[in-house]
Amino acid sequence: MNKMAPVPLPEPWQGETYHGRPTLKPAEFDWKVAAYIAVQGAAGAAQVLAGVSRIEDPGDRNGLASRARAFALAGSVIAPAILIGHLKTPKRWYNMLRIVRPQSPMSWGSWVITAFGAASFAAWGAERMGWGRIADFAQIPASLAGAGAATYTATLLSTTSNPLWAAAPGPLAAQFAASSMAGGAAAVALLQRKAGKIESAQRLERLSAAALGAEAAASMMLSEAQRRAGVSAPLKKGPPAVLHKAGAQALGIAAPLLFRALGRPALASAAILLGGALLRQAVLRAGDESAKRPLDSLGFAREVRR
Amino acid sequence: MDGGLINPGRQEAERTAGARIEPGRSYGFFTDTTLCIGCKACEVACKEWNGLPADGDMRLSGHSYDNTGALGAETWRHVGFVERLDDRPGEMKPFQSNWIMFSDVCKHCDPAPCLEACPTGALFRTEFDTVVVQQDICNGCAYCVPACPFGVVEISKADGKAHKCTLCHDRMKGGMEPACAKACPTDSIQFGALEDLIPRAHERVEQLQEMGQDRAYLYGAPGTPGATHGIEKLNAFFLLTERPEVHGLPSEPVRPAPRAQPSLIAGLGTLAGLAAAALVFGLGGRR
Repeated sequence: MNKMAPVPLPEPWQGETYHGRPTLKPAEFDWKVAAYIAVQGAAGAAQVLAGVSRIEDPGDRNGLASRARAFALAGSVIAPAILIGHLKTPKRWYNMLRIVRPQSPMSWGSWVITAFGAASFAAWGAERMGWGRIADFAQIPASLAGAGAATYTATLLSTTSNPLWAAAPGPLAAQFAASSMAGGAAAVALLQRKAGKIESAQRLERLSAAALGAEAAASMMLSEAQRRAGVSAPLKKGPPAVLHKAGAQALGIAAPLLFRALGRPALASAAILLGGALLRQAVLRAGDESAKRPLDSLGFAREVRR
Repeated sequence: MDGGLINPGRQEAERTAGARIEPGRSYGFFTDTTLCIGCKACEVACKEWNGLPADGDMRLSGHSYDNTGALGAETWRHVGFVERLDDRPGEMKPFQSNWIMFSDVCKHCDPAPCLEACPTGALFRTEFDTVVVQQDICNGCAYCVPACPFGVVEISKADGKAHKCTLCHDRMKGGMEPACAKACPTDSIQFGALEDLIPRAHERVEQLQEMGQDRAYLYGAPGTPGATHGIEKLNAFFLLTERPEVHGLPSEPVRPAPRAQPSLIAGLGTLAGLAAAALVFGLGGRR
């Protein structure tokens, strides 16, 4: 930490920029990253629910834990494959496992999702082999890594110099985590409904609605914090704002609650999953806009903001 | 001890920059905007030495004489031009006309947010305390791009790897000062060991103030604007006479890494709360 008082600058900042040019570069994480965050989030949360179900219902009489494990395993394989596709040099994906760097959420996150995949495979495989106790033992790391996989993507975005992503690390992470839980519960609810386990599906649907409530609350805190930091413009106007309002809020939060009220729970679950992906895409696109706005970036890096 | 240097005898850098290059010491640039004449020799020398292609489509930007635009994957020195004719009419401060030139470069921050973000170890701190991307390791994940507080690092569309100034790591290995500093005709860009450069820069500020340029200050030296919020120093630091924002520099750059903790607490807490709700209200029993 620098304890010395900074040298006074010639005069207060009046909003000058360098010819209005951007001072930061956009990350340009494409739609694959948005899809990755949504799939990994839902899969991670499903593995948390598998753990909850094993505690609540040790006999797995409704098959929830088994289906949640299968969904989580599928997600833990598909999501990293999508992520590797976004790399600009994908054939070197394995360099992600070359080092462990605690300061980099991209580094330890790679290890978390690797552990998530391995533990998910162990839990699913042991169960298929009829080794229930081994499956339950593997469930512990699988659920813990699942919680990490459902959350760390927000940490990854906040731990940058991007004004929009960095403005409020806590609310952004709460928003992503709640959206992940809504998606995980919605996905497992769809599987339970298909298997005819209606009561279990209904309870999962209620949980996903509660998670949407938490997501809405976190979103309100987030937009208030972004407004106070002077970085909220990309989510107020322009294409990312439209995506955020129509995709994340209308389709992702309002529509599922409406579908539930109309007695169309499967439709509600599908809307939650799609809305979760659109939320992530809106946040990524708005972040790219944020980086291109010199008043936002220069204003943000002016006072202590962690 | 030659530390793997190609030329352990009298080095070219000693003749051209008065600096002996030895592994284990900290090196950097002191870029003095009051001496810059906007000749762009640094940009050209950098492109020549590093084999970097020309910028863009050769169109005029309309931003004074700056047709380079910004630092990026293929531009590691960038001369900015600010004309202060409208806002300070009839006033001409000594030592800096109303036309301010500024040669920007990667700051080689300490600690470096790009390096802290890099998941592959491609970005590393060299034996000269500079920050370099190892091209044979980078996999183009692009996480260093938003991590940089100065918008310096960029992924090349040509090869899908991150690129930025290396402080001419290859030249330093050979006992030569970086190409931009060597080409600079006014010594606006000075290369050397930080233990020499920092006192020299403070003396220059005092000298300018004695001559009547009371707006001069350092940006990025320890304890000055630019070295703030966890960033201890910029190995490439500057002498400015305008606010940093005028040159597109943040007045108080922030090291992003400490934001991980509040993020993780909130995210995992939210997830744990919802999982606890699932446990309390139940997930459906037998049906």
